[in-house]
Amino acid sequence: MTAQEVRLCGLLLQEHFGEVVEKVGRNLLKSGTQNLRAIVHETGLSVDLVKKSLCVLMQHGACSFIQGRKGPGSPTEYKAHCDRMLRILRYPRYIYTAKTLYGDTGELIIEELLQRGHMTMSNTVKTVADRLTQSMDEGSSMDYGEVSSTFSKLVETHFLQRCPPAVGAGTTGSSQTANSTSAAPASSTAPTPESFPDCYRVPQVTLIGRSKRPLASEEGEDQRNAKKAKMDPETHGDEGIYWQVNFERFHQHFRDQTIISAVANKLDQTSSEIVRTMLRMSEVTTSSTAPCTKPLSANEIFRSLPSTYNIPRHILDQYLTLLVDDPMEFVGKAGESGGGMYIVNLNQALANLARATLESIVQERFGSRSARIFRLLLRKRHLEQKQVEDFAMIPAKEAKDMLYTLLSQNLVQLQEIPKTPDFAPSRTFYLYTVNQLPTARLLLQNCYKTVANLMERRLFEAKESKRLLEKSQRIEAILASLQASGAEPEQLTEVEEMITAPEKQQLDSLRLHVNKLDSAENQVDETIFLLESYISSSTKPTSFLNDVDGMWLERKAHFDLDDTARTLRHNGQKVERYTKETAGN
Amino acid sequence: MAGRGRGRRPFGTDPSISRGEGLPPGLQQPTPVFPVMEQKPLPLAGGEEAEYLLALKQDFRGVMKNLPFFIKPAAAQRDVQRYSDKYHSSEQTNSLTDWNLDWRRFPRELQVHIRRRVREGLAFSTMDSSVPVQKKKKKEEEEVLLKLETLEKKEEHEQSSEEEEGGVKKKPEEEEGAEAEEEYDEEELEEETDYIMSYFDNGEEFGGDSDDNMDEAIY
Repeated sequence: MTAQEVRLCGLLLQEHFGEVVEKVGRNLLKSGTQNLRAIVHETGLSVDLVKKSLCVLMQHGACSFIQGRKGPGSPTEYKAHCDRMLRILRYPRYIYTAKTLYGDTGELIIEELLQRGHMTMSNTVKTVADRLTQSMDEGSSMDYGEVSSTFSKLVETHFLQRCPPAVGAGTTGSSQTANSTSAAPASSTAPTPESFPDCYRVPQVTLIGRSKRPLASEEGEDQRNAKKAKMDPETHGDEGIYWQVNFERFHQHFRDQTIISAVANKLDQTSSEIVRTMLRMSEVTTSSTAPCTKPLSANEIFRSLPSTYNIPRHILDQYLTLLVDDPMEFVGKAGESGGGMYIVNLNQALANLARATLESIVQERFGSRSARIFRLLLRKRHLEQKQVEDFAMIPAKEAKDMLYTLLSQNLVQLQEIPKTPDFAPSRTFYLYTVNQLPTARLLLQNCYKTVANLMERRLFEAKESKRLLEKSQRIEAILASLQASGAEPEQLTEVEEMITAPEKQQLDSLRLHVNKLDSAENQVDETIFLLESYISSSTKPTSFLNDVDGMWLERKAHFDLDDTARTLRHNGQKVERYTKETAGN
Repeated sequence: MAGRGRGRRPFGTDPSISRGEGLPPGLQQPTPVFPVMEQKPLPLAGGEEAEYLLALKQDFRGVMKNLPFFIKPAAAQRDVQRYSDKYHSSEQTNSLTDWNLDWRRFPRELQVHIRRRVREGLAFSTMDSSVPVQKKKKKEEEEVLLKLETLEKKEEHEQSSEEEEGGVKKKPEEEEGAEAEEEYDEEELEEETDYIMSYFDNGEEFGGDSDDNMDEAIY
């Protein structure tokens, strides 16, 4: 947890859950795993408030508890999850994606689940149906069945998953993790939701009927009674089964969208459609951490192309060859059977997209010539200053200035290679280099800091004009109530005039600023997503070669990497690059 | 001979300084807060999608503020006790009672029974009086009140408790608000007053800041 991440998490918690939860969350993030007493002591809040805040955090998955780490009888300990809190920034994007894929019903389901953390299916369906009914015309109401079917579709495509059952005394939890595919030791790690076999099984829910239109406001009291009374006795056969949003699946979807749009920008619409088809076919078969999709034969791709794209077979082959030969290396060829086996190199694509992001950041901040130097160093790895000047075709003085600026911003590193044991400056080589992964981490932290700054500025602006905002809200409320009770237009204008013209101007400019800042946060979050995906994909322990070849290697006692690389050339990707690099240097 | 040894210029040498001059004088003040940017940033991406995302975000924030998950800190104690405080604080009833937790998924120790919650709430909101003896006394009296509550009317309660404790805050109202089902309008429930809450608005919040832009007079 870096300082910037903690600061950003604190701001997000404050905006969505209040200051009390923010204090508790921050304390947990900074101090790691703690028990209740320690939290109460350090935050100085009352025990009651701390308990409530912990409940809120756990409801939303931002915190988890571990029973008695030091043997039975030791207190429960709580741990906060920083990355889960940072997801709050991305909620609008999740909701919008659900809307594009599953319409308004899907959008509301995801929105409800994000607001409440986790819920049972029946609760979700009822709430969503009520909300939809409110926005529909008089006299019609939403059928529970429709909402349930959308819910089931979301579960089938893995956008929703069951919450893992609560770890009781650690007994049932550990026995299940032993079966999970992850290699982590059993009792110390929490089970992932996917390690339970029922993760994506929709329960049998008896939920028949239509949602009721809420009664008019005079009978609001009775209706409140009725709602409260109704909540208790109704059970629908799915008690204890809670559902949560599967963020990993959404991230997969975003990643696929980014790859498709990158291909569309670089090549053309048809190639992006081909890539989209390939990704769609391997959606459920590829795990989220796989470096590339399973090989698909050209025949399969041809059959699965959408019917609107009526391209003949040989054109498809040409497109695929073009995609494979493209330096961006999105698509690779994995074999010749079935008319050619093709894969999408997911990790490679992410690395290339991240690299493009880094280059664009340098270009926008320092100018296109600095960007040229940056790109040069990314490709050529280590270069001396003289070489930089020559390759970049920039005069020496300016090249030096730009290099030093980039160096002071930590985007370029200096590597010293001594010729003599004393590092005498005249007898050492000084090489400039750019490492993509550490630079990406640095810029990711910058992004967190940016979003935190944007949020603080927005809060500051709102605080400055608090009185004005409250006044405008009051007036809006008065207007709404007047309109509802059918007042004359003169009364309405009279009320509207309570806000003077300069105040209106102030309000408008305030609204504009707040909207801009909010919009900027959303945009920075897109960059954050890309960099985060790249970093997590490149730090996972992916095998050097995929499974089949790995097994082949195991049969050999010892092997020479060069030889292996040549033998396994059909795999493409990392292996080829390795040989290129060793041959090039 | 500039750059002896194959023209390499490591850290120490700088083209802008000729030999023998030494380093430039250090900065005597902190760097400017908003340094001038040579390259202006690009404009924000607009379009339907961005606007829809913006609307979603602002709606989400607004909704979260009203959910029971939003825990408000206690209202700041003002300098003097006021008569209307008795009627104001009942408006901030504990909204966590709306949220039915499934306690099978949460550790036992986080469970707060209503009785204890009220007592803790008591202790919390009277923390500023910082007299432990008074707190204990109140706790005991609240226990008694809890028992009596189900049998007697609330008005007699408040009068007796207020006489005994002398100007204490509205604990009875909070308990009742937390426990009892609200059968009728909240405003009439607690204190059985005949006035709506805005009657007790003593006007201190109104017009507190300077009114620069007001063209009309305030009456």
